[in-house]
Amino acid sequence: MSAAEPVFGRPTAETPLFWQRLRRNRAAMASAVILIVVASLAMLAPAFESLLGVEATRVNLFNQYATPGSTHWLGTDEAGRDVFVRLLYGGRISLLVGLVAALGAAVIGTSIGLFAGYHGGRLDTLLMRTTDGVIALPLLPLLIVLAAIDLTKLGIPDGIANSEMTSLYRIVFIIAIVGWTTVARLVRAATLSIRTREFVRAAEAMGAGSTTIMLRHILPNVVSPIIVATTLSIGAVILLESVLSFLGLGIQPPIPSWGNMLTNAQELATRAPALAVWPGAVIFVTVMAFNFLGDGLQDALDPRSVRR
Amino acid sequence: MLTFLTRRIAGMTIVLTFMSFVVFMLIGLMPGDPIDIMIASNPDLTPADGERLKRLHGLDLPLWERYGNWLGGALSGDLGFSRTYNRPVLDILLPRLGNTVILLGLSSLVAIAIAIPLGVIAATRQQTPVDSAINLFCFAGISVPPFWLALIFILLFSVTLGWLPAGGMGAPDAGLIARLDFLVLPVTTLTIASLAGYTRFARAAMIEVLRQDYIRTARAKGLGPTRTVFGHGLRNAMLPLTTIVALDFGALFSGALITETMFGYLGMGKLIYDSILGNDFNLALVGLLLATLVVLIGNFLADIAYAVLDPRISFRALEAA
Amino acid sequence: MTIRRMIATTALATVLSIGAVQAQKDELVIGISQFPQGFHPNIASHVALSLIHGMTRRPFTVYDAEWQLICQLCTTVPTREAGTIRDWTTPDGKPGLAVDYTIREGATWGDDKPITTKDVLFTWQIGREETSGVNNQELYRRMEMIEAKDARNFTIFWNKRTCDAAAINDFEVVPAHLEADAARDPTAYRTRNAYDTDPTQSGLYFGPYRITHVEPGATVVLEPNPTWWGTAPFFRKITIRTIENTAALEANLLSGEIDYIAGEDGISLDQALTFEKRHGDRFDVVFKPGLFYEHIDLRLDNPVLEDIRVRRAMLHAIDRNSISERLFEGKQPVADTSVHPLDSVHVEEVRKYPFDPKLAAAMLDEAGWNDVRNGIRHNTDGEPLKLEIMTTAGNRVRELVEQVIQSNLRDVGIDLRIRNQPARVLFGQTIRQREFTGMAMFAWFSSPRNVPRTTLHSSMIPTIQNGWSGQNYTGYRSDVMDTAIDKVEVECSDDAQTRHWTTIQQTYADELPVLPLYFRANAFIMPKWLKGVTPTGHQYPSTLWVENWSAE
Repeated sequence: MSAAEPVFGRPTAETPLFWQRLRRNRAAMASAVILIVVASLAMLAPAFESLLGVEATRVNLFNQYATPGSTHWLGTDEAGRDVFVRLLYGGRISLLVGLVAALGAAVIGTSIGLFAGYHGGRLDTLLMRTTDGVIALPLLPLLIVLAAIDLTKLGIPDGIANSEMTSLYRIVFIIAIVGWTTVARLVRAATLSIRTREFVRAAEAMGAGSTTIMLRHILPNVVSPIIVATTLSIGAVILLESVLSFLGLGIQPPIPSWGNMLTNAQELATRAPALAVWPGAVIFVTVMAFNFLGDGLQDALDPRSVRR
Repeated sequence: MLTFLTRRIAGMTIVLTFMSFVVFMLIGLMPGDPIDIMIASNPDLTPADGERLKRLHGLDLPLWERYGNWLGGALSGDLGFSRTYNRPVLDILLPRLGNTVILLGLSSLVAIAIAIPLGVIAATRQQTPVDSAINLFCFAGISVPPFWLALIFILLFSVTLGWLPAGGMGAPDAGLIARLDFLVLPVTTLTIASLAGYTRFARAAMIEVLRQDYIRTARAKGLGPTRTVFGHGLRNAMLPLTTIVALDFGALFSGALITETMFGYLGMGKLIYDSILGNDFNLALVGLLLATLVVLIGNFLADIAYAVLDPRISFRALEAA
Repeated sequence: MTIRRMIATTALATVLSIGAVQAQKDELVIGISQFPQGFHPNIASHVALSLIHGMTRRPFTVYDAEWQLICQLCTTVPTREAGTIRDWTTPDGKPGLAVDYTIREGATWGDDKPITTKDVLFTWQIGREETSGVNNQELYRRMEMIEAKDARNFTIFWNKRTCDAAAINDFEVVPAHLEADAARDPTAYRTRNAYDTDPTQSGLYFGPYRITHVEPGATVVLEPNPTWWGTAPFFRKITIRTIENTAALEANLLSGEIDYIAGEDGISLDQALTFEKRHGDRFDVVFKPGLFYEHIDLRLDNPVLEDIRVRRAMLHAIDRNSISERLFEGKQPVADTSVHPLDSVHVEEVRKYPFDPKLAAAMLDEAGWNDVRNGIRHNTDGEPLKLEIMTTAGNRVRELVEQVIQSNLRDVGIDLRIRNQPARVLFGQTIRQREFTGMAMFAWFSSPRNVPRTTLHSSMIPTIQNGWSGQNYTGYRSDVMDTAIDKVEVECSDDAQTRHWTTIQQTYADELPVLPLYFRANAFIMPKWLKGVTPTGHQYPSTLWVENWSAE
């Protein structure tokens, strides 16, 4: 959410050094391990379902608010569903949303950054002014408007606009179209410095088209800021999804996500605090891990820059 | 100075007009006509009543025409009525704006007041456990779902300990001082989110400054570390922080929306949220514009602060930028 | 983590605070979860507003806590026996009714001006004005004319002959002497009326209290109205505070910021149940089942739902008893039809649908859905038994019940897909324009003896041709039902009423155009010291009797 954006002096591609540096960063390594564990658990959700003999969507009104035990590792919720398995399924959705939306934002941001940085001039000014404008806007209220619009009024067929999965597509889309600014600025800055390098000049002299130059010569040299920014924004998106859920505009039940599980549980906070503790804690730990990992990646990719 | 002001004001006007258009169109894409809802909730209303009420509220016109009418009215000073409160929108918005400015201002100040010392401490003790602890704290602040944090605060400080009110604004006739205890939890929640970013920037800026030659010179001359930092470093480190605070204003406003909703604090963020969900078009639109204006003015003030803090930058330079 | 410890200490804090001496209260802070949208009694229509105006104003007639029609602003309820209801014929020859009322003695606006028939006529004129913004214009249109005999006696001439002509509960009188100017330009009335521009003006109110302060979105302060005709109210000041987040509302009650959460607009039932368990020693929690009928509308033109056997099987397959017992601890009784058991016209002898999955499965087999593949039934054409259910997104309790129903139906081989929408879309468009394809779960809120014409009569099916009027969203057509509804409205003898109401309920339960679920209850959370609050269970709030409230 807040500004934790990396700044890059110049890109480096010294892979062995990179690994060494990353491995020395204990926080980043621990975060990577945590994320791998969380992601694998989420992937294995169906396996856990059959292992424990529970079903994520199985409502059992005679087993509400069960305490943790051998079948229900984290107990059950207000509908008697297994909290642990639901957390795993919720993790699938939350991680998926985080990953896809962050990648989408990275693609948009990279394109804009490359264009602005490479072509320069008026286009650059216009694009960067727009970027600054978007950064300065109070985004959440705008996201609320975007999340509330009726897709059928945009001419999107009813089958897509109103399916069970609509809320998921919608979240990914709206986050991507407002989340690209950081990447755009970083990529532009890196592009500006690379544009004047000899190998770019040489390619230009050999008559390569601007698209080729951008994609084949500049892009590979600006990946590190993209990677770092994307890592950081996955965490931010997971957090944003929970916020939108809280505002009633996130992923809609019956699809579980960490955000809607937490929102649902907060009304029951006095009755069953554990229901609010678990999703809250997983969001917290996961987002924290993404932040530490992003931070570590930045240090490892660009040791000269000051950690910000 | 004058040209600088004119240019900035012209820029703001363009941004606001553009925003008003975009938001108006977006709102037009929202489902559920307010009159339809009224009819659905009251079985005694007939379709004829519906048509009549739609005409009455000008909802039977195409979107373009409605925007034209609105803009015309807005330029002549009539920003329209709130459908839900049945009052002119500014009557509703302005008191809320005041509340939000108090909330944002206080938490910005608190965040800066904490972030600078924290950043300086971290910068002067790089790679020590203190530095790591501050870093951990910062990351925690930006990783916690804000409404969850608010809930924990309410459960802890209001329900369990009973120290602070769980929400609301206090007695309507009480002054700001009497309402301070209602501000503690919202301001704290909001501060924690922005604190992290500020601290990390303060730290980075400070490290940058500490590397500069003149600091080395000062140290070499025998100035103590504290005096070096506060005498020479801080002012220079403040510069990048001002920009960040300004750029962060939009995000801060978003944070205020959640905080206000959670604590029932009567601010703009909550009002905008309610009006969007309640299909109160006018209120949502003007609210969003007002929020944007607040953010733009925040940026503008930061620019001025920048110029004041940095003697090398004059308004002439800002004009050129 | 921290929360566990927190909860442990909560118990301790509760124990400690009981010891605190409760000072004699003469002020009351009521917590509600919404703020009224405007203050004009005939323009705004909102549960929070009716709660407030219950204390500041009084309707002519209203249903009391025993669901009997009584007079508040009038002297006696008109009846045929007393000759105060008479047949009348409209100028164009239609059967109508003339009904006499007398304004009660001592009824006075807060600025000492008496309430007279002038105000009644003014209210009626504003109500009939096309552009005035009054929402319930149908009421005023049905009043062909009003004749004032003197300052206190008037006669309403209805252009229709119905059995409930005596009730004018929604006729909210407004002061002519304050509003006449604003009403001169009817189009501007809705923004210029004094209730919205100056809601603290004393002359607008005549109840036990008047509004003395308004903070939009947050607070309304009421103080006693010196011109009130009845018993002087106990509380020197009543503050109504809006806190939308129900968790925060609860926390405010516990921390003493508010005294009482009004059931009309308070917290959800399951929150209240939890609250009662944890804080029942400090607060009285009163559950009042009311005229909120939770049900599932079915699209009867859906080829699957067209078949009465499928509808009946579905109701047998839904474990409504467990929903009521496990989720609501029995506080929300299972409904057999849309008529509440406490309603005087309720009939017990209707077809019942106890939970019986075996029977449901047999009925589905019989209906041709006998080929079970992967747990889902298919018919002989190989089509799966698949339906879609919708409800209001963000309503946690409904979403929970929906998922229970999904699970229940899944057990008998019905594949139920959930697709929810925010209330304003669901009610504003999807249901109203019949865009749902299978099932829609929502509630009706009504008054006692409410004739279900708009929801069950075949002339009330919304179509684009009739401008989507009517609330018969299921598309239900039944001659028996139509006749019974037509007759119950005009044949007013006790005998005829019983007969027609019985037909309506039995036909409803037999043909199941709608799956009845349960009647929702409101939870009133009161401090032990608050006495005299009597929940009504219908749309007219308990605050209409606020002068009986007191502290001990």
